[in-house]
Amino acid sequence: MTGRILRQLWLPVLVFVILLVSTAGSTSFYFPPLTTVLHTLWDQLAGGGLLDDLWFSLRNIVLGLALATVVGVAAGLVIGEVRTLRLALGPLLDFARATPTVGFVPVIILTLGIGSGPKVFLIFLGSLWPILLNTVAGVGQINPAVHETSRGYRVPWHLQLRRVVLPGALPQVFAGVRVALSVAVVLMVVSEIYGSPIGLGNFILQSGSSFHVAETWAGTLLIGVLGYGLSVLLLLCEHALLGWYHQRAPRASRPSPALTIEKKSNGVVV
Amino acid sequence: MKVRLLQLGAVAGVLALWGLVAAVGVVSPTALPGPAAVAGALGDLLGSGTYWQAVGDTLDGAVIGLLAAVAVGIPVGLVTGVYAAAEESSRLLVEILRSFPVIALLPVFLLVLGSTPGMKATVVFVACVFPVLLQSQYGARSVTPSVHETVRTYRIPRLLRFRRVILPGAVPSVMTGLRLAATTSVLVAIGVEVLTTLPGIGHMIMESQQAGASDRAYAYILTAGTIGYSITLLAQYAEHRLLRWRPPVRAGEAA
Repeated sequence: MTGRILRQLWLPVLVFVILLVSTAGSTSFYFPPLTTVLHTLWDQLAGGGLLDDLWFSLRNIVLGLALATVVGVAAGLVIGEVRTLRLALGPLLDFARATPTVGFVPVIILTLGIGSGPKVFLIFLGSLWPILLNTVAGVGQINPAVHETSRGYRVPWHLQLRRVVLPGALPQVFAGVRVALSVAVVLMVVSEIYGSPIGLGNFILQSGSSFHVAETWAGTLLIGVLGYGLSVLLLLCEHALLGWYHQRAPRASRPSPALTIEKKSNGVVV
Repeated sequence: MKVRLLQLGAVAGVLALWGLVAAVGVVSPTALPGPAAVAGALGDLLGSGTYWQAVGDTLDGAVIGLLAAVAVGIPVGLVTGVYAAAEESSRLLVEILRSFPVIALLPVFLLVLGSTPGMKATVVFVACVFPVLLQSQYGARSVTPSVHETVRTYRIPRLLRFRRVILPGAVPSVMTGLRLAATTSVLVAIGVEVLTTLPGIGHMIMESQQAGASDRAYAYILTAGTIGYSITLLAQYAEHRLLRWRPPVRAGEAA
């Protein structure tokens, strides 16, 4: 166990040390010493108002992503279940996903303002398509026998959606949310750089254009940490909710692990 | 045939809904112009040189960055995929770098590289290299041990092994990475243009909207969507063609 961690850790640590050493005495204007950057980051977080920026950005992302998840999963379940809808809307949905949402940034912000609402809307708009399309795909991957069984037992449709289709599609849904998260972070940054009085994007833009390079690096670093932190958080959620799925996955080829699995998967064999 | 009709009906329905929302005036016409106005603006643009210039500028940046990402990502991905030690050592680093929102590097890149087309291509490269790398790695890992053992038994030279055994084995997964990266490349190129003064579709969207011509802005957004959609279709077609020799398998992660 420790051996494995060591093997995974040595390179990041080495890179960190190299960066630390190579920039230590740096007088280069664009690449300040890493220690200065970290120091600036700490100072700004402690008393420089960076915490407000972080809070603003984080709230927008979480709101937008949550909205997109609710709408995307609900619509995706319905579209995935109804064959006619799925066939009819297929190309439209693909087109919608392929349309870069960053293009909407100027349109939305110039007309709806620089506040929090338009940004949440943009994040929602960008995150919706990956979640929706993945939900549709997830529903499509459910074994037809499961459908027939639940129909055979006359499970009411709302119960069927909640207890049969949703758990079956959940692994794909999470894959969609993961993609959506990276889109959401990008939209957060772009919309804040484009027009915002506050937020991490605004922070790096302001410090960059006034040549406070250490602050720009610090803000950039913080956005990276935010992105990574959110993806780790999502992974934890996924493991908590989908433990039954991941436990089964590596053992799929072994003979008959079925007994223990059936209990964990809400009674649904997927 | 019936499916086509259904799809046409859905498109018509969405257009009608769009027209209705725009006509009723729930949203201001600067936020959402009607479909007729956008179609008219698109028609005018198609005949103008600036339009094609903007499309060309965006594609330039996207393609150069993407090619560089492919040139770096595939070899590195294959090598780290084959050697377990390399994969383990680089995993955490790649994991951290991958989740880094590249567009956040823009102010830094603007400082260091300035507002140049090369900067745009660099940002695209950084954004695209990780999907390609990770999917190549995944593909190389999916080559079964028995194949590796066979290769070793026949003493096939290393370079030949990569080119003739591992690369073809990894192609399905690599193609998934390419598809992801291609869509990302256009997205990032446009994102950079929206935020800087670099010419391209993103810049034109911003300029049109600032001039109050939101129908033109929407025409450019539709253009961007068409480019993205064409890339998806092209990639699907290429995947299909390249993998004809292979029975259909579920490859890579669906994203």
